[in-house]
Amino acid sequence: MFGKRIDYAGAVGFIVFMAALPLVFGGNYLIGVLTVSVIYGIWAVSWDFMSGLTGRENFGHSLFIGVGAYTAGFLNTAFGFGGWWSLPAAMVMAMLFAVIIGLPTLRLKGPYFALAMLSGAVIMQRLMLIFWEQTGGEEGINGIEPLIRSQLGFYYFALAALVLVTALLLALARSHWGLILRAIRGDEATCQAAGINVTFYKIASLVISAAFAGAGGAIYAHYQLQVSPQLFAVVTSITIITMVYVGGMASIYGPVGGAILLVLLTELLREFGEWRLMIYSCTLILILFFVPHGLIAPTWRRFRSKLRRAQ
Amino acid sequence: MLEILIHGAVSSAIYAMLAVGFTLIFGVARILNLAHGSFYALGAYGAYFFTSHLKLPLLPAALLAMAVVALFAIVVEKVLVRPMRRSQLAVLMITLAVALVVEQALFLTFGSEYRNVPAFVDAKFSIGGVDVGGQRLLALGASIALIALLWIFIQRTRLGSAILAVSQDPEAADYMGIPSDRIFSIVMGLSAALAAAAGVLAGPFLTVQPTMWLLPIVKAFAIVIVGGLGSIPGSILAALMLGYAETIVGYLISTSWTEIVSVLATLLMLIFRPAGIFGKRAAF
Repeated sequence: MFGKRIDYAGAVGFIVFMAALPLVFGGNYLIGVLTVSVIYGIWAVSWDFMSGLTGRENFGHSLFIGVGAYTAGFLNTAFGFGGWWSLPAAMVMAMLFAVIIGLPTLRLKGPYFALAMLSGAVIMQRLMLIFWEQTGGEEGINGIEPLIRSQLGFYYFALAALVLVTALLLALARSHWGLILRAIRGDEATCQAAGINVTFYKIASLVISAAFAGAGGAIYAHYQLQVSPQLFAVVTSITIITMVYVGGMASIYGPVGGAILLVLLTELLREFGEWRLMIYSCTLILILFFVPHGLIAPTWRRFRSKLRRAQ
Repeated sequence: MLEILIHGAVSSAIYAMLAVGFTLIFGVARILNLAHGSFYALGAYGAYFFTSHLKLPLLPAALLAMAVVALFAIVVEKVLVRPMRRSQLAVLMITLAVALVVEQALFLTFGSEYRNVPAFVDAKFSIGGVDVGGQRLLALGASIALIALLWIFIQRTRLGSAILAVSQDPEAADYMGIPSDRIFSIVMGLSAALAAAAGVLAGPFLTVQPTMWLLPIVKAFAIVIVGGLGSIPGSILAALMLGYAETIVGYLISTSWTEIVSVLATLLMLIFRPAGIFGKRAAF
């Protein structure tokens, strides 16, 4: 019971901290950075729900992000729907894509699944360029309306979305459902023998993961006010996987911290100019090498057990 | 028609050199090396650096570049990859991080503009009315020769049998007294040298810049999946298929569709026959 109370206290502390940051320091620059980090948080959490729990690393998460963002862009600019329609529409489209690509590829394991998803994202990115007359090519879609005019208001909206998604996925991951997904990671054949409909659970978890990635994509589109094929890029997926890795795989809450940490790190390194990415990559190697289980989730677990012992 | 035949053969040859090394290190050490494209980039940059800055003649410069890249790969495998071999995702992530570091190192030393790697052969040849750059023909010939040499080395020498043994069953090979760790190093060096050779040979007619590692690694991955992960004949056949498919699509439809061909082929292959043409290991 006490452990649970520490968890809740930690979550509330985190939300208050994130909400207070722009009020204390202010400045549109900081709000912008925080908004991006929160959106990356949504993507990282949604990645972790499917890939972290079932152990199938999705190297094409950007597929769902891009689909969500482009859905928002099309609805808003070509069809003139209001901004709030984007979220449900983006989720539905991303779920549709998840079913289409998940059905044939989810029986694959490890690197095979990773490459299949990566190929899917690359194909979508290429199609955006090939059908440039409809999609705007390299430039993408411009002139998307903002959801909320005030920057601070938008940040709070994104933060609320992140908290909601994380809470929902965390609850799912700790339920019977999450247990089954973890069991699938352990031994798929045994699960099947135990009468679990493995295919259903795998597809459903990919669909859920895609839905929130798509929602995040739509939020991002309404934040940047434009979408470009770059959203589909392999780099986007890899950045997200890195964030999950740094946060701690399969912990759901860890990736949130990983995403915020890495976005802030990237911003802090900006003063190093062209050395920025070099320092970033070297830091990545050090983290992978010395803390292979991630930074955020294991630290929190250690902190919690210390508190418990102190009690 | 003849044009397609020749240009398809050249791009297939470059792909084959990349894919064979990539599949070799996977087959033997189960390492999915995302830094493989970096070895290719480093080979091209090495040839450029040794000829333009150290004023070496091209052939020694090329051999030196291959040796340096092989050494670098061995160090990467020993220091960074070996401790993480238990988890496949960890290996993917660490080799990816290495690729990013290499990209940034190249960017910081040479800048982002295109570099010119000198060609071995500048002349153009006319084959049945089709003009082909001499360097392309050389790349084709050299790639066939190098892959054939590698094949003979693996099939005919004692060290080659040791490599085969480790790839079949690392534990049993260990019991037979084969030092599998040293075999991993050797294979890593060989595979990197082959990628570097591809960079040196293709550098003169492709763009040499810091991000040149990404597309080749995606293609090599695709070829190896289509051919069957770990199978050298499979990856050669798949390299031929994809090389020609891309060339044909480039000629008949448009070059903007060529990039999609290999990825689409991979996706279809994964869906319908995940083990690849010659793959024996189950993918699911």
